[in-house]
Amino acid sequence: MSPHPSSVIEFNSATKVYRSLLGRSVTAVEEFSLRVGEGEVLGIAGPNGAGKSTLISLLLGYLRPTGGSVTIDGREPRAYVENNGIGYLSELITINPNWTAESALSRFGVLAAIPPAERRTRVEAVIEQLGLEEHRAKKVKALSKGNLQRLGLAQSLLRDEKVMILDEPTHGLDPVWTQKFRGIVEGLRRPGRTILIASHNLDELQRVADRVAIIDKGRLQRLVQTGYDQTAETAGSYRIAVVSGGEKMKEIFPAAVDHGGGEFEIPITNVADLNAAIAKAIAAGVMLASFVPARSVLEQQFREAVGENNS
Amino acid sequence: MSDNLRRYALWQMRDFGRDRGIALLIIGLALGFTFVSPVRMMQVQMTEASAKQLIMISLQQIVFISVFIGLNGIVSNDRKMGYYRFLFSKPVSIPAYYAQQFVIYFVGFMAVMALLLGLFAFFVYPLSPLGPLAYCAIVFLSLGGIAFFISSLFRFDWPILAAVFLGSALLHTIWQFSDGWRKIVLAVLPPLNKLTSLLGTILDKGSVETNDLLWLFGYSLLFFLAGLFVLRRRPVA
Repeated sequence: MSPHPSSVIEFNSATKVYRSLLGRSVTAVEEFSLRVGEGEVLGIAGPNGAGKSTLISLLLGYLRPTGGSVTIDGREPRAYVENNGIGYLSELITINPNWTAESALSRFGVLAAIPPAERRTRVEAVIEQLGLEEHRAKKVKALSKGNLQRLGLAQSLLRDEKVMILDEPTHGLDPVWTQKFRGIVEGLRRPGRTILIASHNLDELQRVADRVAIIDKGRLQRLVQTGYDQTAETAGSYRIAVVSGGEKMKEIFPAAVDHGGGEFEIPITNVADLNAAIAKAIAAGVMLASFVPARSVLEQQFREAVGENNS
Repeated sequence: MSDNLRRYALWQMRDFGRDRGIALLIIGLALGFTFVSPVRMMQVQMTEASAKQLIMISLQQIVFISVFIGLNGIVSNDRKMGYYRFLFSKPVSIPAYYAQQFVIYFVGFMAVMALLLGLFAFFVYPLSPLGPLAYCAIVFLSLGGIAFFISSLFRFDWPILAAVFLGSALLHTIWQFSDGWRKIVLAVLPPLNKLTSLLGTILDKGSVETNDLLWLFGYSLLFFLAGLFVLRRRPVA
């Protein structure tokens, strides 16, 4: 199958079955098909054991599919990685505990084929970008979870890679660095770069990804566009907090559920309806304090795709 | 071999020194001391013949243990510990990485052995270390291919490696005069029996039987290449 003109990553009915020596088998990924385009940021969401890690291992060539195919730029993943490299952050940050943070980055810089003249500058740049200045001389085993995560992220940013795969990138990061991570991903966006982010954090994926692939039981359950469309069916509800005029809310929104304390939940089918309803409320003299989705579009889709039990 | 991998050799050398080299040196010194100290306590005048005898007894044990320590986990450690995840997301060929690691471990092992033999020459008897060093190289290269293959195939390679080394040494001893299928089994097993008498030949004659050497190296090379094939074909995760 020839690759889609703009697609960089292609899963074509990819299947991965693990077989034990005793003949037992577990299907981790089944008939998974997806194309990821150039310049795209794709999120991958799914409950534990959904097959996210297996998908990523297939993409890095650490595993081979037992059926179907996986390609990057039209090549078998291992061949692609050996020639080009991938900016990769794994869920488990496995770096030799006896290396210092700085020497780990230098080593990965050497392996990433960064020219010797630029290596020092690149290492310094990622140390600064990830706030690792005061930890550079510490051994990996002495780093806190958050700092280790930042070191993992730093090594994935060393080289200007065309393909980046970030597995649970904000795992262990404090709120400040989680916020900063969003800025880093925005900075990584460019037309020729493809970024995959696997995360349990749907809010994070909603903010940084263009599309989110929801997987469960090894299958692609749903592909969600994260941007808002004024007429798109959201099938969600919003929480509206009012300062005054709460008594009018039931008249304006007959289906509103009063949670007390001036907080109401109103079902809304799309963004256009939401705006019309808010305008109506303001016109009626209701003073709004806030309105937020009770569940994000992505969360709603996730719950529908994988079922309430899994979410 | 790509430039980035060649440059990484220095880091691999550093890792060998810290993770294995120091351990090899300590174990070599401790074992060497257990052999040398009784002789010195007897206050026997050391001659070239007795120094060779001492080297023959002690070096065989030190070298076998050191090769085992030096080579176990050469590939499997990275899989067990998960270090492969970051190493091989870079533009690196996995077989080339481990082939280079094997060469570096060999160089590191030889450096430790040279140091130990140098200490022997300085403190015990000024015996030329060249013959014993050649023996060390032959043992490492003869067993290295087998250890490399096992490590590329199994995560917990050291028990298998120990079983193969000890098992084949044992079978070569008890079946050495057997015929039939036992003879075929012996031919397939690692030819460790050929290593036993090698040190004596090197120290006495200063040479080795070419056929034995070819058989040992050929056997090891075959397994080394099989290890590279496994690394190329088999997923690393």
